[in-house]
Amino acid sequence: MKKIYVCNDTITGIFSAIYDAWKEGREEKECGIALKGMLEQELFCEYLPVEESIHKEQAVERLIKKHLGGQAYADIWQAALAADRDKGDAIYGTMLAARRLCDSKKIMEHLSHPQVERVFELSRKVGSEAHNYKGFLRFRELSGGILYGGIAPKNRILTCIAPHFADRLPQENWLIHDKTHHMYAVHEAGKEWVLVENERIQEERLGQVSENEQMYASLWTAFCRTISIESRENPRCQMQHLPLRYRPEMTEMAGGV
Amino acid sequence: MGEDTGIQTIGLKQTEKRELDIYEKLHILTDAAKYDVACTSSGVDRRGDGKGMGNCEKAGICHSFSADGRCISLLKILFTNECIYDCKYCVNRVSNDVRRTSFTPDEICRLTMEFYRRNYIEGLFLSSGILKSPDYTMELLYESLYKLRTECHFQGYIHVKAIPGASPELIRKVGFLADRMSVNLELPTAEGLKLLAPHKSRKNILTPMRLVQKERDENSRELALYRQTPKFVPAGQSTQMIIGATPESDYQIMKVTESLYKKFELKRVFYSAFVHVNEDKALPARTDDGPPLLREHRLYQADWLLRYYHFQADELLSEEEPNFNVLFDPKCNWALRHLEYFPVEINRADYEMLLRVPGLGYKSATRIVKARRLGTLDFADLKKLGVVLKRAVYFITCNGKTMYPIKIEEESIARNLLDSREKLPQEVRNLGYRQLSLFDDVRFRENFYEKDLCV
Repeated sequence: MKKIYVCNDTITGIFSAIYDAWKEGREEKECGIALKGMLEQELFCEYLPVEESIHKEQAVERLIKKHLGGQAYADIWQAALAADRDKGDAIYGTMLAARRLCDSKKIMEHLSHPQVERVFELSRKVGSEAHNYKGFLRFRELSGGILYGGIAPKNRILTCIAPHFADRLPQENWLIHDKTHHMYAVHEAGKEWVLVENERIQEERLGQVSENEQMYASLWTAFCRTISIESRENPRCQMQHLPLRYRPEMTEMAGGV
Repeated sequence: MGEDTGIQTIGLKQTEKRELDIYEKLHILTDAAKYDVACTSSGVDRRGDGKGMGNCEKAGICHSFSADGRCISLLKILFTNECIYDCKYCVNRVSNDVRRTSFTPDEICRLTMEFYRRNYIEGLFLSSGILKSPDYTMELLYESLYKLRTECHFQGYIHVKAIPGASPELIRKVGFLADRMSVNLELPTAEGLKLLAPHKSRKNILTPMRLVQKERDENSRELALYRQTPKFVPAGQSTQMIIGATPESDYQIMKVTESLYKKFELKRVFYSAFVHVNEDKALPARTDDGPPLLREHRLYQADWLLRYYHFQADELLSEEEPNFNVLFDPKCNWALRHLEYFPVEINRADYEMLLRVPGLGYKSATRIVKARRLGTLDFADLKKLGVVLKRAVYFITCNGKTMYPIKIEEESIARNLLDSREKLPQEVRNLGYRQLSLFDDVRFRENFYEKDLCV
């Protein structure tokens, strides 16, 4: 009977499921990886809850890095952050496909394989959303001098962008709020950033902006309006590069698209 | 917004004026800077040092897009719009009656730092009108950058203009603070320049360009020896020229571009469709058509072919056919005229040939080359690789077969391509076959210059 490993939608969860399936030597057709909360019940399947642990995650990480290489690991890691129900299957399928190649490090070039292609596509989606947010995220200065940035991404990209901002703004206190997945990346000046989940941050304090905030926000909004050349106006082109879903959080777009 | 605050400023007390001033200045000096094209923040990778603020990413990051669809990546401003020159195409020419103002280096630092920490921008793009003299202006730019780099510890991207006619020593000093430098070529030929920018000369423009090139060259040799040597203009230099203000043909422009890439090792050449801001008898007559955007688009497409697709300017255009086709992009146009090379077999053709297939980009070509090592590819596989077959389908085979029966013949392929044509402006779409290579500013073609093609 087909075995389906059920895990949480986190890197630890997915990698733990892969660990279990891999250890039992399951082939692609005999098993599946499903995410809690996104389960689609099938007939003639056995559902196994996965016991998740950091140990399993690290073992799978080592396995992938050793046999598939660092670049493939980066792709797989990004794919595991995607908002997609079948990402676990795609990753497991890719790992099995790599076994059949004589040079398993070339696996991500094997794009005619459907599961590899899936991982590639998911990774590209996550990567490009993360890249977009590196530009489109807006911080506002709260009354204590803390910078607050809210985002609403489709994929769990917080861990992709936080290192970028930690490197960029090392001497600032900032927090990035992922409103879709209810997570925060928090950075204290001069320290490492941390991921905070399931914790309440006093929402009302986020509304109090600093004295100068309004001034810089309107300077910026005016700048964006002035820089456009009237005789070249092209809202469709603007839409293509800056889709509407990014705009509600953006200072210069607020109050009208 | 800026206009409103401008009116309010008049009659306000001195104490309140200072804060309003920055709104007004920003409005004036942004408005004056917006015709500069480049807003790229690419070409340099730099980690933060943990103490200051900022880093750079090689690919560049777009932070917003303005209503005209152009990317906003840098705080693009002029230091001052006071200018002693009288360039006929420029909004800031000395004979224009516009409000003039200047930033102070402190104001530039404050705006840059505060914008940057809110993640509005990727860095600063600082240009300027010529205040008093080139050296005087360059000195002010230097002062601003020096403050920004050393006092504010800013490590983000800086693009700065080298002012033609400024002393080599000053340009050198600025180059060690900036990531990218650019000198505007302004117009493709020396005649055009003489006509429209009487105070500028070709020689004055090319001198700083050559200087930056030589300095970069020396710097890279030094860097090979000592890794800690400060970097000179690490993201390279770029330039831009105005398209459609003077009667050069596309062929002339592409030849100039090609020699800029080859002889001056520029990173980018930008084209700026001429926008009517002044009335002057030396400028083309005002029409209702707006700037020649399609022509600009074709030039960028061809520019890409030169830089990434191993094409030569002479392959794309010639004396006999000096302008780009309105209906087909330059690569399609080339392919239609060279059907003897097609169809190309996807599983065997070399990388250079794949690059020449219309519709295949360099990313797709690379993916094809890698993927076919692990198995033969058919049309379904190509789709999975993200290859867009719309245009490519007429020029390729997979395992010896075309996707469906196709006559390899210019007429029929051209007709098929036109059915699925790219989005073209309304006027062009209505054109028939007969007017294939007419351009919106075609009336200029009668007396175009023949000399001084190359820089």
